This record gives sequence, C-alpha cells and structure tokens, in this order.
Amino acid sequence: MNRLHEKIKMKIVAGVIVCLSVIALDLGFDRPARAADAPREDDYYKITKFKIPDGLVLEAGALQLSRDGRLAFSTRRGDIYWISNPFAADPAKDSKFVKFASGLHEVLGLAERDGVLYAMQRCELTKLLDDDGDGRADRFETVADGWEISGDYHEYGFCSKFDKNGDIWIALTLTGSFTSDVKFRGWCLRLKPDGSLVPTCSGLRSPGGVGANAAGDMFYTENQGPWNGACALKHLEPGAFLGHPAGFKWYDLAKNLGKRPDEPKSDSRLIEEAKRIPELSPPAIYFPYSKMGQSASGIACDTTDGKFGPFYNQLFVGDQTASTVMRVDLEKVNGRYQGACFPFREGFSSGNLALELSPSGSLFVGGTNRGWGSRGSKEFALERLDWTGKVPFEILEMRARHDGFKLTFTEPVDSRTAGDPKSYQIETYTYIYQANYGSPEVDQTKPEIASAVVSDDHKSVVLTVKSLAPGHVHELHLPGVRSAEGAPLLHPAAYYTMNAIPAEESKP
Amino acid sequence: MTVSRLRDRLNGFPAIAIASLSIATLASAAASKRDGRPVVAGFERFYDRPEAEADPVRGGTLLLGELNCASCHKVEGIAALLVQTKQAPILDQIGGRVRPDFLRAYLADPRKTKPGTTMPNVFANVPEARAKEEIEALVHFLANTGVALESPVRALQVGFGERVYHQVGCVACHGARKEGEREDLKTSVPLGDLTKKYTVNGLATFLQDPLAIRPSGRMPSLNLKGDESRDVAHFLLEGLSVKNEPNLKYQYYEGEWEKLPDFAKLEPVAQGTVDDFVVRIRKRVNNYALRFEGYLQVDREGVYRFHVASDDGAKLSIDGDVVVDHDGVHSETFKEGERKLTVGSHKLVVEHFNGGGEDALTVEFEGAGIARQSLSPAVTIKPERPDSKPAFRPDPVLVERGRSVFADRGCASCHALKDSRGIVESKLSAKSLKDLHNLTSGCLADRPAAGSPDYALGSSQKAAIVAAIKAATSADVKKPTPRDSIASVLLRLNCYACHVRDGVGGVEKERDAYFTTTQKEMGDEGRLPPHLNGVGGKLESEWLKNILENGSKDRPYMITHMPRFAASNAGSLGEALAEVDRLDPVPAIDFDLPEKQVKAQGRYLVGSKANNCGTCHAFKNFQASGIQAINMTIMTRRLRRDWFHRYVRNPQEYRPGTRMPSAWPQEKSLITESFNGDSTKQIEAVWRYLSDGDQAAVPYGLGRSPIPLVVGKEAVIYRNFIEGAGPRAIGVGYPEKVNIAFDANNLRLAVIWQGDFIDASRHWTGRGEGFEAPLGDDILRLPEGVSVARLASAEAPWPETSARQGDYRFLGYSLAKIDRKPTFHYRLGAIRIDDYSDGIPDPRGPRLKRTLSFDLKADDAGADAYYRAAAGNKIEIDPADRDRYVIDGTWRTSLETSVKPIVRNSAGKAELLVPIRPATDTARTAKIVQIFIW
Repeated sequence: MNRLHEKIKMKIVAGVIVCLSVIALDLGFDRPARAADAPREDDYYKITKFKIPDGLVLEAGALQLSRDGRLAFSTRRGDIYWISNPFAADPAKDSKFVKFASGLHEVLGLAERDGVLYAMQRCELTKLLDDDGDGRADRFETVADGWEISGDYHEYGFCSKFDKNGDIWIALTLTGSFTSDVKFRGWCLRLKPDGSLVPTCSGLRSPGGVGANAAGDMFYTENQGPWNGACALKHLEPGAFLGHPAGFKWYDLAKNLGKRPDEPKSDSRLIEEAKRIPELSPPAIYFPYSKMGQSASGIACDTTDGKFGPFYNQLFVGDQTASTVMRVDLEKVNGRYQGACFPFREGFSSGNLALELSPSGSLFVGGTNRGWGSRGSKEFALERLDWTGKVPFEILEMRARHDGFKLTFTEPVDSRTAGDPKSYQIETYTYIYQANYGSPEVDQTKPEIASAVVSDDHKSVVLTVKSLAPGHVHELHLPGVRSAEGAPLLHPAAYYTMNAIPAEESKP
Repeated sequence: MTVSRLRDRLNGFPAIAIASLSIATLASAAASKRDGRPVVAGFERFYDRPEAEADPVRGGTLLLGELNCASCHKVEGIAALLVQTKQAPILDQIGGRVRPDFLRAYLADPRKTKPGTTMPNVFANVPEARAKEEIEALVHFLANTGVALESPVRALQVGFGERVYHQVGCVACHGARKEGEREDLKTSVPLGDLTKKYTVNGLATFLQDPLAIRPSGRMPSLNLKGDESRDVAHFLLEGLSVKNEPNLKYQYYEGEWEKLPDFAKLEPVAQGTVDDFVVRIRKRVNNYALRFEGYLQVDREGVYRFHVASDDGAKLSIDGDVVVDHDGVHSETFKEGERKLTVGSHKLVVEHFNGGGEDALTVEFEGAGIARQSLSPAVTIKPERPDSKPAFRPDPVLVERGRSVFADRGCASCHALKDSRGIVESKLSAKSLKDLHNLTSGCLADRPAAGSPDYALGSSQKAAIVAAIKAATSADVKKPTPRDSIASVLLRLNCYACHVRDGVGGVEKERDAYFTTTQKEMGDEGRLPPHLNGVGGKLESEWLKNILENGSKDRPYMITHMPRFAASNAGSLGEALAEVDRLDPVPAIDFDLPEKQVKAQGRYLVGSKANNCGTCHAFKNFQASGIQAINMTIMTRRLRRDWFHRYVRNPQEYRPGTRMPSAWPQEKSLITESFNGDSTKQIEAVWRYLSDGDQAAVPYGLGRSPIPLVVGKEAVIYRNFIEGAGPRAIGVGYPEKVNIAFDANNLRLAVIWQGDFIDASRHWTGRGEGFEAPLGDDILRLPEGVSVARLASAEAPWPETSARQGDYRFLGYSLAKIDRKPTFHYRLGAIRIDDYSDGIPDPRGPRLKRTLSFDLKADDAGADAYYRAAAGNKIEIDPADRDRYVIDGTWRTSLETSVKPIVRNSAGKAELLVPIRPATDTARTAKIVQIFIW
C-alpha cells in the first residue's frame, strides 16, 4: 500500500485530473469506469429549471395544470401562484409568475374541476374562487374539514386530483410518527361529489403524495418508519388497513367500515400478519431504503400515450431525499397490486415533493428541503422533465410468473447476453414489520436463475428462478445484458415486490 | 444493520465471527435454568454450547480470567498475554456498604445467597464447626471496616430509579426489573437479593463510582448525574423493610430575620414530627425558620465531621455546643465542623431560616467508619433506639482472628483490603498454571477438597477451562494477535452486550426494547449503540481513548450511556483498534486558493444553500432544523480525516441503514459552483472549515432569523398554529395596525392586539413546530368558547362545548376587493353569520370594530340565539361613557344593537350578552356592531 501511496503522490505532482481518478481507486470505489459512450439519463430526459423570482420562497407543496396551459403551484408558506407559458423552451425568458392566493396553511395538495382550484391545507380542503375575475382569489370556501389537527408539525394533509368518480382522496399523516392524537390522523378520507366525507382506509403513517394509476385506482406513497420497513407505494383500496395501527381508535367514527381490524403483532413479517388480519393490505411496491430512495413523495401517471416516452400507463414517483424520480410498473396478482420499481432520473435540484405530468408529456417537479435534507442542494426548486424523443434501453416491464419473471425491454436485446443466466443476479429480502422505526433488510435469500429465454421478437426474456420468496423484494441486477446494438441498460436494476406468486400460466 | 452485508464485508476474520452469529441465536433462544454455576455473560452467550460447535479454548481462557484463577495460579510467559486477571472488589470499606448478616450468609454459601456469583465457596467441605468459627471471625473483620446505616426506601425515588435503570444501559448486562417484565436471561449478570446485602446509602455509594470498589471495570461507571445513583439504589432496594418513621421533632416559625432568631423567645406557628431535615414542611417560602431536634446515635467512638448546606442560615449543635455555624443570609453553600463523640446518644439541634428567594437545607456527616452521607438515618426521636435490636458491634478478638482467616483462606489473593496495618497479604499458595497437570483435581475436582475453592462449575465451563489451560501451557502457544486482543477485551468487558464488531455481539433481542432515543424517527440508528466495525480507523486516537476511559455522550439523541471503563481496563483497546482498522491515508490535497477561501467554500457547502448539513446536525449552540444528530463542531476532533473522506461519499457503506444521505453520490457533486463540482476538493474544504471547531463561522441557514409579516395597504392573512387561537387559527393583520386571530375551530375572535402582526419564522423555518404568539403589543385574549349560541332561556349557562362538537359549521371567508379584509362565514344551525372585523384609527390608539350580520331567514327555531360580547370576572358601565362597558377594569367595549344588551352573572362569570333579534318584525336579518377599546 505504501507503494501505491507513493505513486499517488507522484500523480498529484503530475496533474490534478489524473490524481482524482487514482484517489477514487484508493478509496476503494470499485465501480466500473464509465465509458465515454455509456448511456446517460440526460440523453433521453432533459431537466429544464425555472427561474424563480427574487423573494419568492417556492417550497413547492403541490402542482396543478389548468386547461388553458398554465401551471399552478402551492407553497409550504401558503401561497398559490400561476405560471404562464410553463412549456416554454426558455422559461427564464417566457414564463411569468403571478400570485393567486396567500395566507393558507401549508398547501400540499391541489386539484382542479371546471376551472376552479381546490387547495389542501392542514386544516381543510378549500375551494378558491375569483368572483371578480381580477386574477386573485377572493372567496375561500371550506369544502371539507372533518378531521382534527392538534398543532403538531407532523400532522400534514395531502390530497389527490378529482378521480374518475369525482372524488378527492385525502391522506392525513399521524401526529408524529407513532400516535394518532386527534380525529382521523393516519387515515384516508374521501370527499364525495355530494360533499360527504367518507372514512376510506386506516393505517397511514406519513404519506408523501396521492395519485391514481392508469386504471383509475388510487395510491399513496408511504415513508419508512414505525410499521414500515421501507418507503412504499400502497393501494388505497376502500376498507384497507395499511399497516400502522395508531389510528385504530377512529374506527368508532367510521361505522361504514365495520369493526376495527385485529391489532398487528410487532416484530413479525407483514405477509404473516396479513394472513391473520384480512384488512391488512401489503404495499404494492417497496422502494428499498437508500437503494431507491429515502422518502417517497409525489405520484404521476403517464397517460400521454407515448408523449413522455415508452413508459405510458406507468407511474412516476418522486423521492425527496435522493432528489430523484423513480418509475413503477404495476400488475395485479390474485386481485392485489404488486410490481417493480426502477431508477428513472436523478439530479433534481432540491427535495422532490410534487409531481405533475401534462398530457403533452412534460413532467413538472417541485421541490423543498426544509426540515428534511435532500441530495439536491437547493432549498426549493421547480423543474420540468421532457423526453428528448430518444428511446433509452430500459426494462419496460417486470412481471411475475409462477416460476420466475418475464422482462420486457424498450429495445430488442442481444440474445447471447440476454439469454445467459450469468448476465443476471438476483437476491431477495423483506423487512421486519414492527412498531420500531424502519427495519434492516432481513430473511435474505439468493435464488438461482436456472434459465433466461429470449423471445422471438427479442423484446422480452423469461427468467426461470428457483424458489421465489413470497412477501420478499426481489432485487434484480442485469449487468451483463446488452441491447441488440450492444449497449448496456441505462438502469440495470429492478426491485420487484412479490406479495403473491402467480398461479401457473395456462398454456397459450 | 444487515447481517448479510456485514458478513460480506468480513474478509479474513474468521471462524469465531461467523460461528458466533449462530451461537448468539442459540443462546438467546434457549432460556436456560441456572444451575448455580458462575455466570460470565460472554461465556454464556458465545461458548456455552455443545462441544462439537464450541471454541473451548477461547471460552476457557475467558473463564480463567473472569474467575480469577490467575490470582492464585501464577501465569507466566506468553500465557500471561492470554489470561487476564480480574481484580475482585476492594473491601476497604465494605462494612459501610454491606450488612453483617449478609456477609455471614454469603460466606457460608455464596451460590445460595447470590445464584450465579463468580465468588467460590472457600468453606466447601470444611468441617462445619470450623467453617462457622472462621466465617464469624471474617464477618467481624469485614464489618469492622465501616458502619452501614439504615435508611428507608422512598417511593418517589423508586419511580425515578426505575426509569434510570431501564434507560441508561443497566439492562444491557443485568435483567429487566420492571413489574411484569422481569426476565432472567442466561446472559444476565445476576444481582441476587440486594435488599439483604446493601443499605440504600451503601448501594448508592457503589453506583456512584463502581470502579472505586470494583476497579476491573466489569461493572463500568455509567456516569450517573445528580441523584441518579441514589434513585437507582432506591429502586433496586424496593421492598427493603426499613420503617419510615419520624425521627425528628420540629417547630416552625414565621418572621423576618437576617440571622437565626432566639427561638426560646418565639412562639412556633406549627410543630410536629418529621423523618428528615427537610424544608418542605414550611408553610410559606419566604421569611420562616425551622428548628429540628433529635438524638444522634453513636455506635463507635471517634471524631465525626458534620456538613451543613443551607439557604439562608443554619446552625448545628450537639449536646448544647454549636458544631457548625452557617448563620446569616447566603446562597446554598456547605460549611463543616468536627466533634469527638462517645458511644451512646447525643442531643442534636439543627436550626434554619430563610429570608427571601430560594431555600435549601442539607445535613450530612462522616467519620469512625461512616462514609459521608445524610445524617438523618443516625438520628432518633428519643434518646433510646426505637428497635430492640442492638447495632452490630465488632468484637476486637474476632476482628483479629478474621484478619488471619482472610489471609489464610486466600480471600486476600483476590480481594484487596487495606486497614490501619496496611494491605492484608494472602498466605494461600497454589501451583502455577504451567504446573497444573492433574486437571480433575483441586478446583476442577467433582468434589473439591477442603481448602480448595468450590466454583460449582458447569460441565461446559469445566471442559473449556481444561482446554484453555492445556492450550496456554502447551509448547506451541502463540502470542495473541491484535485482532485476538480486541476480541478478548470486547468479550471480557461485555462490550458485545451493546456493540457489534465483525459480526459478533450486539444488543440481544430480549433487551432491545430498553435501548431508546429522544428522536424516535432516527430509528435504530438513534437508539442502538453504534457498531464497532472499523472504529479504530474512524475515531481519532485521543477521542477513542477518552471514550473508553471516561465514557461519552457524543450522540445527544441516544438515551443509553457509553459507560466509563477506565484506562487500566480499556486503555490498550484503543491502540489495538487503531492498528487493526487503519485506513489507507487520503493524500494531501492542494488548493491554489488561500486557506481562508477554502474554508469559506467549506462553510458554503455545509450551509443551507448547498448541502444543508444543518437540517440534521447541530452546530455549536444552534439546533438543527430537523433531527438533532451529532454536533458539527466536534467532527474533526472526533473523526479521522481518512474516514471522513470515505464516509461522506457513501454513508450506507459505513453505517448501513443510516439516514445520512450522500452529497457526493458516485463521486459526483451536485454543486457545480464550488471547485467545478470536484468532490474531493469539496469534501476537503468542508473538513478544513470544520477543523476550526467552535471558532468556525456559523454556516448559512442555521438558527432562525425573524420573518415578520409586514402589513401594507392590504390586510395580510396567516393561517397557522397561533397561541391562544388554536391550530385552525386565521391571523389577520390590518393596515390600521390592529390584528386579530380568529379561531376557526370555535368560531370566535380569540386574540386581538395592536402594532406588529406576527413573526412567521417559527413555522417557516425547519419543520415549523409549535404555536406562535402575536408579535405586537397590547395583546387581549378574549374568552374561550363560541361567540354565538342558542340558549334555552336567558338564564341558561353559556355552552362549554366546542363549535366542532355542536351544530356549527365553518364555511370559509371572502376578501374585500380594495383592502383584502376578510369576512368570515359560518353557520349555527340555520342561522348564517357573516363576521367582519376592521381597524378604526384613533388618536389614542387604534380600535377594532367587529360587525356581525345574521341571516335569520331560514331560522324557524324561535328567538333563542345570543351573541356573547364579553365575559370576565366583572363587567361594569363605564363611568366616563354610560354607553360603554368596562370588563375586568382592563378593556372597554360599546355595542350597536337593535335589542338592549344584558349583563348577567352565570356560572361564576360576568357576561355581556346580546339577543340576536331582527330589527323590525318584518326583517329577517339582524346586525350587531361591537367596538373594542383596549
């Protein structure tokens, strides 16, 4: 080692650039050197930053596009602004910010119907009207406030857009991480078009966003903490208990849901508890801690029919800590959602919180890192992600089979590498389901990949995996797989949450 | 921590590491019944298992040290590097801590008195009469070293002690002792029945500094503060049957003095009996005096020293003579005095007075075998003792005999005891370790011969000891490597009870719940002691040394203490860790900038415009805005630079599961404006900036700067948690320099004030915890409860239920076009209410005008609605203006109404009510205007 050290010293004299790469080696970073022509996210999806006017503390809590092509954002400080020309090639020059409302209480949800904005404050869901048409809201109508807040900072409220039935889904965080001190903390409530507020799901802890998938089913993101081993995407199926029992006492106020579920046992496994507690619904997707992200946030569904690239009908989920956007491919097995998440785009400027995907294929991302740190170092940001039109070589879909997985790719694969089981690595693990905060990965297994069979059209591969592990995340790496053109995957990793193993496929 | 990842990273540390994982599981799974064999936690956890899986040499080597074999059997050469000696408790003052009755029982049968003890029975197989005689002599000899004074256990302190015991780390080695949670794990170091052994004071003295009595550090010092050790003693001795009877008479006086008064000339205001020198029996805090009277029971003649702390003056007298004179006005300080006392009872008087301010009184003493402690336990209310049982009086003949037994039986081989004649030397001789050839005789025999200590070893223990002796004395015994030495210290001091290193150890599952944190959201990282993988490469040598020798509290969020093990026990560990864990150095990094500018870049990178480290890490006295992780100013003194450079790039690699994000993922920096995004230079700049420690300039964005909301021509609205107006408050600042906070939970005007509006920084900095108070002046808090209510009659009390429980509904607000002043809308049943406030300029200070409009069109409930305009203790007509009311003499109000207001007394309160009635018979609306002058 001394010799290497000497060598390093010499290189320092020789030049800074050389020196840096050697230091990296010396520090034990054994990542493969990046070839000059290796694919880069930036080649496929470009980030455009908005220039934020001086004095505006944007801290974007929520985003909403209007039908006339403007973008509204709400701030944690309680303002709502409209941005004109949000799709401009040079927003710094062509986009204008106009204040619409202020004085609201930490707005983390925005929705729109008939050209009218709805804002989710801590205290209530509010309809904002501009009766005199001067561009500023002058009437603030309380449309729902059937929950309580106690003054604890953690008691946030998020909401969805209007869904296919005209409902808004409201997700209320617990008081702190561990308790539900006042009414309906840790619950999802649904505002119906008739104005009634329907208790819908219990067991929420700390949502970071609410959004529907392409089928119109509603999901929210949950964050690692008590009863949550890792961040997750959970299906808000009416009547479901989503894991954290602190809010059970409010079943007395939710007669529509019947009796309260049995208490889960701490220090167990979620899949085991779910066998005993029928209401307990396992997460559709786990976002493995720090591998994918550390605080899952906003949800957007690609319903652009290809304007945002090849991933239509899939979900995009933000991560506040990692300043990333992740991608989710869902499927239903035995009537319940499960599926895979993939890295998608990193390098956003602040802690991503709100996501809004336009029908024209622009993903708006709003960020803040106040109170919770983020990799992106700006205190707040508003950015737009556009597809360049170039298709990245990615795993498009990862679907479970009774004896493995079927992978579909965005581009034809090279059958030699993609057909070689050695091009793949798989391991599985799950989390402790416990009242303590978070969980390490536990119960690891390393199943063997018996075969990899490339389809005739070279667009998919069937992996036969010995002993799939129900209830486990299946972490798949594909370092060896190449496209027909010889390129590696832009993101050679996928994390599949296997709540249930599908029954044997009937022969086609 | 993920076990597999750790396992993956183990390269070359061998058998014991991997194997021990499964042993740990085995050991905790099997709840074993104790068979009376000595309990050595490390052996029970890692080595008590079937021979095939055992590593008997390591296990046996541990036992050779922990059972003190080397104290009698000399160990030489390389073997001495392997077998450690453990010094048994120092017995110099054992008589002051432990009861003679316990000593007698314990010596006669150590295992029965304290199951699991590592002390052997030295009287096993000694003829009964002889044993009895020698034991009695030993009891007198040991008891002669001090006097154990009894004092009662107090419930309040038991409660405090229970919390401390279960939080600071006692449960890492000992069993949990909460009601219903007592679990005797086989790895728990047993305590026996402490109430038989210790007095409260004796145990508290031990807990305060265990290393003074047991210098070998197996029971480390938990650095307990203040009364904590005493509280834990109370808790551990709960159930001790010492009667809590009054032992003092007292008289209480009131008056103003600057010195102690002549009590003979005064008449007491109160008198009675009490069980300690306490001031709490006073009837007021200032200008009082107390006189305590009792009898000091002296069992041994000698010079006694008395300590009195008081605020203000105090005096202690014995047999009519002043011994401590601490008279006059002063703060709480100690003063001392001495007196020679004969055996018997002595009249004792303590006098105390307080003028103003704080008050305090503490009376302690020491001498003739009594360590410094509270005087109260030695005092009785009458000259004679209340109990018939006489105090234990050592017999000088037996004391002398006991001293010889202590030497002859070999007690002195393990225990140090120094009396007036010096250290007692052991006269027991035994073969040296290398000369032990028959390993089924002596201590290892099935039935040890008379004179051999009987440890009652279990079979796995015996096998391990035999294997260890053979290995240590064999010709090819090898010197321990630094890795071996580290593992052996961690095992010996039971560091493994809390820490994992190289896959071995860590908190056992059953004890996990007792490791807690002040910041639950940090998860395990916030509550479990850190793993020790690579710790020698992480921590600076001096810092590590200090932790091992003195304990630490670097992690403010962790409730468990890192205890003090002392240099003699853990001193060498730091060096071995540093050697084994050494990281390859990160080369020096040159900048073409002056050092000052490099540090300025570091400061920028740490601050809120870049990596925002202050979200989680405190800096000097500045709290972080999120969780409170380790203070940044100690980083460079604590951490090695080589480690820091690696860690910040990839925290997960070094602390799996940590919340700490990487600001330099894959060596990239997201901050391109600093050193062109060069990650190595950025990290180095941060390091150099932090090297200034306390002197470093505060990073950007730390701490809270005020964000006052300034009101211009338009009203400003602030919906947030506002003090006095609840969590659904709506603050409004008016251009006329009046402000209101409307409580949307209770549909009432909650607080009004003048001048500046509000400071939003509490809610707009960090996570925004808590309620913010008004920023301006003349804050008037208006009565709790709804403003408008239906009453069954004009006499019915104003409802106390909140609006959210009643037939009310908040509808929102609308803003005026010109000045954006809000009108609040809400509903009581069918009555719709518009509630508008406005500022009215006035030369004597602005006033507030509140206008309430009621829509009664849909109201068919009859005329039963009222507006409560004011409530207080007293409401009067203003003599200066007969149309105004004065509330509690502090503020005034006037009303414009169509119906005359009512002043009434209801439920002990004065109230100003206005019936809500239409102005005319045909109108279906009503209006009330109220002016607030304050």
